[in-house]
Amino acid sequence: MKHQLISKTVREFAENEIQPMVAELDREARFPYEIVERMKPLHFFGLQVPKNLGGAGLDTISYAIVIEELSRVSAALGLCVTVHNSVGISPILEFGTREQINRFVPAMAAGDSIGAFCLTEANAGSDAGGVETSARETQDGYIINGTKIFVTNGGVAGTILVFAVTEGAGSAANVFIVERDRPGFLVGEIEDLCGMRANPVSSLFFEDCKVPRENLLGKPGQGLKIGLKGLDTGRIGIAAQALGIAQAAFEASVTYAKERQQFNKPISRFQTIQNYLADMATSIDAARLLLHRAAAFKDKGIPFSAQASMAKLFCSDTARTVTDMAVQIHGGYGYSKEYDVERYFRDAKVTQIYEGTSEVQRMVIARHILTQPS
Amino acid sequence: MKTFKIIICIKQVPMVSELPWDAKTGTLKRELAQGMMDPSSRRAVEAGLQIKEIRSAAGEHTQIIALSMGPPMAAEILYQAKAVGADKGVLLSDRRMAGADTFLTSFILAQYIKRQEPDVDLVLCGSQTSDSETAQVGPQLAGELSIPAIGYASDIKLQGNLLRVQRHVDDFLEILEMDLPGLVTIDQGAYDPRYTSLGGVQDAFESGAFEYNAEDTDIVQVDAKGLGLDDTFNAVKDSPTRILDVYSPTTQKENMVLKGAPKIVVDQLFDGYGKIISSAMGKDLKTHSHTGE
Repeated sequence: MKHQLISKTVREFAENEIQPMVAELDREARFPYEIVERMKPLHFFGLQVPKNLGGAGLDTISYAIVIEELSRVSAALGLCVTVHNSVGISPILEFGTREQINRFVPAMAAGDSIGAFCLTEANAGSDAGGVETSARETQDGYIINGTKIFVTNGGVAGTILVFAVTEGAGSAANVFIVERDRPGFLVGEIEDLCGMRANPVSSLFFEDCKVPRENLLGKPGQGLKIGLKGLDTGRIGIAAQALGIAQAAFEASVTYAKERQQFNKPISRFQTIQNYLADMATSIDAARLLLHRAAAFKDKGIPFSAQASMAKLFCSDTARTVTDMAVQIHGGYGYSKEYDVERYFRDAKVTQIYEGTSEVQRMVIARHILTQPS
Repeated sequence: MKTFKIIICIKQVPMVSELPWDAKTGTLKRELAQGMMDPSSRRAVEAGLQIKEIRSAAGEHTQIIALSMGPPMAAEILYQAKAVGADKGVLLSDRRMAGADTFLTSFILAQYIKRQEPDVDLVLCGSQTSDSETAQVGPQLAGELSIPAIGYASDIKLQGNLLRVQRHVDDFLEILEMDLPGLVTIDQGAYDPRYTSLGGVQDAFESGAFEYNAEDTDIVQVDAKGLGLDDTFNAVKDSPTRILDVYSPTTQKENMVLKGAPKIVVDQLFDGYGKIISSAMGKDLKTHSHTGE
C-alpha cells in the first residue's frame, strides 16, 4: 500500500507540475529550476537519505518507483534526480566520514546542492582504468587536474564527486568531493544531445583545483570500490528511468491505437497492433519485476550487483524497443514533435549507454555467472 | 489549554471520471479503477491543516482525525491524510456496512463520532464526492450529531469558540458565524490541496500497526461490532434509498454555425438570440441598436 501511495503521489506531482512544460523544456534544452524548487520540500532530493539529515528515508523499491514515475513524465528530470541521489549522495553516505556526511548531505538532501559523479573522460568510460585526471598530494590536500566529459547535472551541480588518479608511487584511483565554488573548477558548455535535453549535461574542467584532505572520500586508494558500488546503485535508478520512459510510450500507444481510425475501425482492432501492445506490456512487466527484485535485494542487504546489471540491461533494452514500437504505432505522427513519442524514442537510447553500457552490463553479469561455484 | 479536535470525513473514490455501472444494482463498478482520495475531501483536509498550522504558530494544540468508511483498501487515503499532517486515521470497515446509502453512511460516521470522539469541536467534509456527487453526507451527519452545519464554505476562520465561514451563494458572498461544535463542508474551488511529501508517506507507514478496534495506534480500523451496531445490521437491506434506474444523459445541445460577413452574422445572432442575451446581461439590448439604423 505504501508503494502504491508513493507511485500516486509522484504521478500527481509530475502530471500537474512537469507535464505541461515538458515538451518546451526538451525543445529549448532548459533545466527547470522553478520545478526543482517545488520538488525540494517533497523530498525528491533526499529519497534515501535518513530523516535526521533531512531526507525521506525511503526503501529502494520506493526509490525505483519514484524515478519510474518521474521519468514517465520527464526522463531528463528523472535523470537529474536519480543521479543526484544514487551516485551523488549514496557514496558519501556509505563511505563518508561523519564529518563529511554532516557537511555535505543535508544541503544535497534539501536540493540546495545538486550532486554529480564524474568518471567519464575522452579516453576513459567503460574502462575506468583509463582515467587521466590526476590528483597531486600536497601538504594539506590535493591538487586536481583534468577534464571530465558528459557529466549528468554538470551545469547545475553543487557537489561533485570526481574520480582521479593520485600521482606518485603506487598510483591509485580516488574519489574527491569538489564544491562548485572551488577555484580551478570550471563548467564547460552544455552538450547539445539527442535526448535528455532538459538535463544540463556538460564537461567539467579541473585546473589546479585545490581541495583539502577532508574532501577525499573513503580511504586512499578506495576510489574504484566507491565507483563500482555507486554504479550498482546508480543502475537501479537508470533501470527505473528507462522503465518510466517505456511505460509512457506504452500508455501513449494504447490511447492512440484506440483513437486512430484506418479502414473504418480503430487500429487497435488489427492483430498486428494488438501483438505490438501485448509485446510491449509483457516486456515492461518483466522489466519491472527484474528491477524490483534488484531493489528488494539491496533493501535486504543481499549482494545485488548482478541483479542490478540485469535490471539495467533489460529495462534499457525494453525502453528502446518499446519506444521504437510506439513510434511505429503512431506512424507519421510518431515521428512528429506534435506527439510525445518521438521524445521518448530519443530519450530511451542513452539508457543503453550511460551508467555502464549494455555491453558492460553483460560483462558484469557474465563475470557473476562464471565466478559462481559450479 | 484544551486541544482543539477536528474530524475530517474523507472518501476513497475511483481515479477515473467515468466508470461503468452494474445494471442490476445501479451502483458503480468501483473495483475496475484504482482508488484515490476524493478531490473534495482533499480540500477539507487542507482546510483542517491550515487551521492546525495557524493554531500551532500561536502555540495552541490541535488534533486532526481523518475518518473514512470503506473497504480495507480505503486505508490508503488515511495514510495519505497522515502523510500530509493528520494525527490519526480511522477506517470504518465491515462487509455488513458495504452498500450503505448516504443516510446510513451519515448514521455510521455519527455512530463512531458519538462513541469515540464526543468532544469533537469541528467536523469538516468535502462538499460533494467526485463519484456520486450527492452532497448529502455532510449535512446529514450534522443532523445525526445535532450540531449546526454550513455547506460550500470557501474560507473558514477560527475565532475562539466561534467559526467565521465565508461562502459564495449565487452572486453573493456570505459571511456567517457558527458556534462550535459544528460541521462545515468545503467548496470545490476552495483550499487547493498541498502535495504529499515522500517523507510524509514514509512517516505515515512507520507510525504503528493497523489493527481492528485498537485504540492506541495512529491508524485504526473499526468494524460494525466495534461501532455497537446490532447483529442484524445490514447496510444493503437497511438503506432506505432505492435506485430505480441509472442512465447516461443524452446531450440536448446543438451547435449552430452562423456564416457570412460579420454584419450578417451579428444580425443573425441578435435576431435569433437577442432576447436570451438581453436577459443574461440584464440589459435591454433594444436601446443599443445593432443595425446602425
